Amino acid sequence: MRHVLIGLGIAAMAATCASAQEVTLGRFFGACEDAGTDTTASVGEACIIQSIINAADAELDGITVNTLPTDWGNYYDQIIAAYAGGEPPDIHVMHRHRVPQFASLGALAELSDDLAAAGIDTSDWAPAALDAVSYNGGIYGVPMDFHANLWHVNMDLMEQAGLVNDDGTPILPTSPEELLEHAQMVKDATGQDYLAADFAQFPIGVRLVLALMWQQGDNIFTEDGTATIDTEAARNAVSAITQLFDAGLADPQLNYADSQQAFLNGEAAVLVNGTWVVDFYDSEAANPDVALSNYYVADFPTIFGEGATWADSHMWAIPASLQADDPETYQAALQVLAFINDHNIDWARTGHMSVRTSVLESDEYANLPHRDEYAGTADIARDTPASEDYGAIQDVLNRELQAIWLTGKPVGDALSDAELEVQDLLDG
Amino acid sequence: MAERRKILAGLSEGQAALVLLLPFLAVYGAFLIYPFFRGVWISLHDWNLLAVAFNPDAKEFVGGRNYVRTLWGRNIEWGLFASPVMQTAGILGTGLAFFLYRTGRASRATALALGIAGLLFFLLPGFHPGEEGRWYDRRFWPTVGNTILFVALAVPGVTLSALFIAAALDGETRAKSVLRTLFFLSQVLSVTVVTLIWQIMFSPRQGLIANITEAFGGSPIVWLTDQQFAMAAIVIATVWWSLGIAMILFLAGIQDISKDIYEAAAIDDARGLKAFWYITLPNLKRTITLVIVLQIILHFQVFGQSHLMTQGGPNDSTQVLVRYIYQTAFRDSELGKASAMAVFLFVIMGAFSIVQFIVGREEG
Repeated sequence: MRHVLIGLGIAAMAATCASAQEVTLGRFFGACEDAGTDTTASVGEACIIQSIINAADAELDGITVNTLPTDWGNYYDQIIAAYAGGEPPDIHVMHRHRVPQFASLGALAELSDDLAAAGIDTSDWAPAALDAVSYNGGIYGVPMDFHANLWHVNMDLMEQAGLVNDDGTPILPTSPEELLEHAQMVKDATGQDYLAADFAQFPIGVRLVLALMWQQGDNIFTEDGTATIDTEAARNAVSAITQLFDAGLADPQLNYADSQQAFLNGEAAVLVNGTWVVDFYDSEAANPDVALSNYYVADFPTIFGEGATWADSHMWAIPASLQADDPETYQAALQVLAFINDHNIDWARTGHMSVRTSVLESDEYANLPHRDEYAGTADIARDTPASEDYGAIQDVLNRELQAIWLTGKPVGDALSDAELEVQDLLDG
Repeated sequence: MAERRKILAGLSEGQAALVLLLPFLAVYGAFLIYPFFRGVWISLHDWNLLAVAFNPDAKEFVGGRNYVRTLWGRNIEWGLFASPVMQTAGILGTGLAFFLYRTGRASRATALALGIAGLLFFLLPGFHPGEEGRWYDRRFWPTVGNTILFVALAVPGVTLSALFIAAALDGETRAKSVLRTLFFLSQVLSVTVVTLIWQIMFSPRQGLIANITEAFGGSPIVWLTDQQFAMAAIVIATVWWSLGIAMILFLAGIQDISKDIYEAAAIDDARGLKAFWYITLPNLKRTITLVIVLQIILHFQVFGQSHLMTQGGPNDSTQVLVRYIYQTAFRDSELGKASAMAVFLFVIMGAFSIVQFIVGREEG
């Protein structure tokens, strides 16, 4: 009997699917098995986004959303190959930094004229969000968040080291010398490392060095395409970090998963990672089996002259071919984007910053856990100048910086090699 | 039925063969020959994968420029002692080949192959950028070097361990057959599963290996992000993974050896290790050659282990050729240059196929 019922259910689903408009969706953020359709209860990037997608699939009349299997590490390779093969997904997520690469070729649909009809109010987007999805005066996507590097802090370790203000906030360094000093205090008081981050695989270490360069008013290349990596500012930025490795106060060999585990195990006072893990660490801190229990989120501290931290945006785009050739699916795709736009508050639960003024000003947003602790991040958000070779440039930096802290390559050699290679990329 | 037989009967043997071969030739042509020449064609163009997808005219014929950009540099010079270790090894290899051939210990083809390999080892590392010079692509030759190092470690690793296991597990007992199945089992896993298993094994926090080292009081090795161990780590995972086929080939080879020889040897008191050395090994010579050449060709194409376990790092020390081709084509959209590198890889693997062909014919 049960089999018959299940069979009937499947048949009924198939029948509704047949009449519905199918929208294929490509995304990263990882997989979530049982995300459900409750957008207000899920935890973590993967489950929150999938619950929003599932809800769109369930609630939008006549539209089914089919999430394609993709993999984080190879996402852009897959998307590029899909475009080259003429079969891109109907909607896909991407970063702001990729807009020049895709939009300059005419790959993305220009949405300006269709957003209002689909129920997306662009005037509600924060100016920086509109800027993130704009290219040569056109709108090429729907922004979903601002994300940035934060300092995730274990307050128990900071307390033991005496690095807590009277108001309960952590005392964070304001200079490279203080950074070393604080790190030594934590080591002396607790025996643990001061700072952990993925210096070994994903470019979190690159983003750290970039932030420290921006804090000195420098950048890795200029708007007109001259690489400026072999500089005094870069040397200062790198040595601010390597001094911790040299003194045994941080471990450069941890990758993303290991550095995160070290932080959750209470083996590091500070973890440098993005906004995307705030709700996850918050829920882990509530778990009595996890060593981290007193969790605080801080803005990336200003160690040099001016405040700066690496930041980017997630956004959703539609292929130009869909807009031109398949108006029905295009309209359905816009409906899905409108649905995601309407659930911006749910996505902000990850820890990301909202892109909509109405959400940013809401009490619900202000009451999200730890939100007030990193309120300054939006003002110091930075990124490198736009480039079609963003991915390759990040890869060069990642390789050369890893060479410094993992293989002992002299800083000067690594920076001058990186400058040469980035210049090659900028020259095309 | 009768009709069909009549049609076939009307054909000559050659024509019938052609008809029967046609489906194979069509598939072979469409999926191997055509893509190969297409690849060569693309390698002669400045061809941006994405740009050409949106505008077919966005490509430009550039002749051999992609090859120059990949293989060559500015002010490249050749020096006798630019890379003393490899060049000395090259000279020694060539000398050894000549010596072996002269004393009749190696056949002409084997000596020739060894001689040419030695000569290449002598010649190629001699090239280096002179003053004010640089390679156009700084990463290409180190990547080729990493790939060769990987092959040089993985192939003997697989061959020796498979040979050892095959010799140990040859027999009729139940335990041996269970163990044979177990050793073969890893071979059926996909590269994603294998790399996942080994990433957990190598993890300095939760990994089995780290737990064992810690139990003995050592501090765990950070395998995948330590320059000294990263290559070893992907070689170990590869040996574990690709042991199965080599073991089966060796087992088949061992079972082919006539039992009479062992019995005759046993009378002369050659058992165990002695029998293995004087009977099994010489009789397995052809199988060993086959396994080695197959493994060389297979492991030159290594991709998944490096891509998934170390992302080519740290500092490019596990970056291999296929991963570089993949990145150039799909991350950087430089299809022309990627195709040029692929042609280069084809030449290397083609050379080893020819070696196998010559050696195989000589011994057969």
